[in-house]
Amino acid sequence: MKISGFILIIDSYLVRKGLISLLNRIQGIRVLKEFGASDPFMTYLDTHPVDFIVISQSAFRRRSDLFISNPELLEKTVLLEEPLPEDQNSEKPIQEVQASIHIMENKETLIAKIEGLLDPGGHRISGNRAGELSPRETTIVRLVSMGLTNRQIAEQLFLSAHTVMTHRKNIISKLGIKSVSGLTIYAIVNNIITLDEVSSFPAK
Amino acid sequence: MITREWPMYRVILENLQLLPLLPRFNLKPGFGELSVDEVCQAHGVNTDFFLEIANAYLDEMYAPDEGLALFPLGTMVDYITSTHNYYKEIALPMVEEKLFRLVDHSSLSDKEIHLISTFFNDYKEDFRAHLSREEEQILPYVLELEKQASLDKPDPLFIKKLQGYSIREFEQEHNRLETSLSHLSELIIKYLPPFDDLQLCHQVLNDLATLMKDLVDHADMEDKVLIPRVAELEKHLLNRTAPA
Repeated sequence: MKISGFILIIDSYLVRKGLISLLNRIQGIRVLKEFGASDPFMTYLDTHPVDFIVISQSAFRRRSDLFISNPELLEKTVLLEEPLPEDQNSEKPIQEVQASIHIMENKETLIAKIEGLLDPGGHRISGNRAGELSPRETTIVRLVSMGLTNRQIAEQLFLSAHTVMTHRKNIISKLGIKSVSGLTIYAIVNNIITLDEVSSFPAK
Repeated sequence: MITREWPMYRVILENLQLLPLLPRFNLKPGFGELSVDEVCQAHGVNTDFFLEIANAYLDEMYAPDEGLALFPLGTMVDYITSTHNYYKEIALPMVEEKLFRLVDHSSLSDKEIHLISTFFNDYKEDFRAHLSREEEQILPYVLELEKQASLDKPDPLFIKKLQGYSIREFEQEHNRLETSLSHLSELIIKYLPPFDDLQLCHQVLNDLATLMKDLVDHADMEDKVLIPRVAELEKHLLNRTAPA
C-alpha cells in the first residue's frame, strides 16, 4: 500500500510526541519531520513529497499568510483544534482545510479520522491484510496458490485469459510480489489458503 | 544524534545495529580513541556522508536538514553499490545457507520443503533483479545528472530527457523487498510444524529480522537522502537551463 508522508507543525513538545506515537500506530503512515510554528517548514515542503500537514490551530493562525494563498497546501492540511486563549478565539476565521481533529478527542476517533484521510476509496488494510485485494483478486491468488495456470483459472471463473492476466498484473502491483511461490506464502499467512490446500508443485 | 567529534568506538558500542554499515565504508573495529571524523579521514570516507547514513539508520524520524547534505552523489552511489554487494554476497547467502540447513534437517513434508525452497530461490531472483535495475538504470542516471550539472553547457539531449523524467518516479515504484521476508518469518512462526533444531530456527528468524531491518533502513536512506538530493539537483539544472 502507498505510504503517506506526514509532517507536524505544533509548538507543544508533548502534543507533538503524543501525536507521533499515535500516527506510528497506523499502517501506511510515515512521520517525516516535526516542526515548531516558527521553524522554516516551507523549505522542507518545497523539496520533499509530503502528503499531509498536521498543524495546530495556534500555529496555523500565526502562519496563516503562508496558507491563505495556497490551495495546494490547504488541501494537505489537517488542523489540530485546541482550546485557544480567550482573546484569540474570535480572530480571523480558519480557512477551508482538508480535515480537522480535536485535541480532546479519544484515540479511536482520532485514528478513524486519520485513517479516513489515507484512502478515500476505502480499501484499507486492517485486521485481514488480504483486504488489500479485491474479492476477485483474492480468488485468483487462491487458485494460483493451488497450482492452476492462467488458462485453468480463466476456465474456472468464466473469464477470458486476458482478464486473468490483467488481474494478475494488478495483484503484482498491489502486493509487489511477482512469483507464484511468493504469492503462495502470502496466501497462507493471510489465510486465503491453508498449507494443506497448496499445490505440491506450484506452476511456474 | 551522532556528531563528528564522538569517539567512533562509542558510536558503535552503543549502536551495534550500525555494525553492518562498517564494511560498506571499508571500516573495521579496533578504533582506539579516534573520533568519527578521524576514522573517516584515515579511510578516505566522507565524514558528512557517514554521519548522514548512520543517523538515518538510528533514527526513523531523521530527515536531513536543508543544505547539510553536500557530499558528492558519487560517494552515495559507491555506498549503495557496496551495500548491494553486501546483500548479494553476504546477507542473502547467509540466510539461505541456514534456512536450507534448517529445512533439510526438519520433519517437514516434501511439499513444505519444496514450497520454501522455491520461494527462496524466486525471492533471490527478484531481489537480484531489483538491485540490477537500480545499478544499471538509476545509479548511472544519478552520476550522469551530477556530471551534467557540473558542466557549463550541459548536453541538450540530457536536458530534454530530464524534462520528461524525475527520480520521483523511481520513488513511486520503489517497492519494498522486505515484505516477502516477513511472510517467510510468519510462515515459520505460525504455520509450519515446530523445527527440531531450535537454535538454528532462532538464528534463521534473527537473520531474517536483521536483513529486513537493514532493507527498510536502506530503502529509507534512498528515500530520505538520495532522492531528495537528486530531485533538488534535477530542479536546479532545469531552472538553470530554462530559456529566459
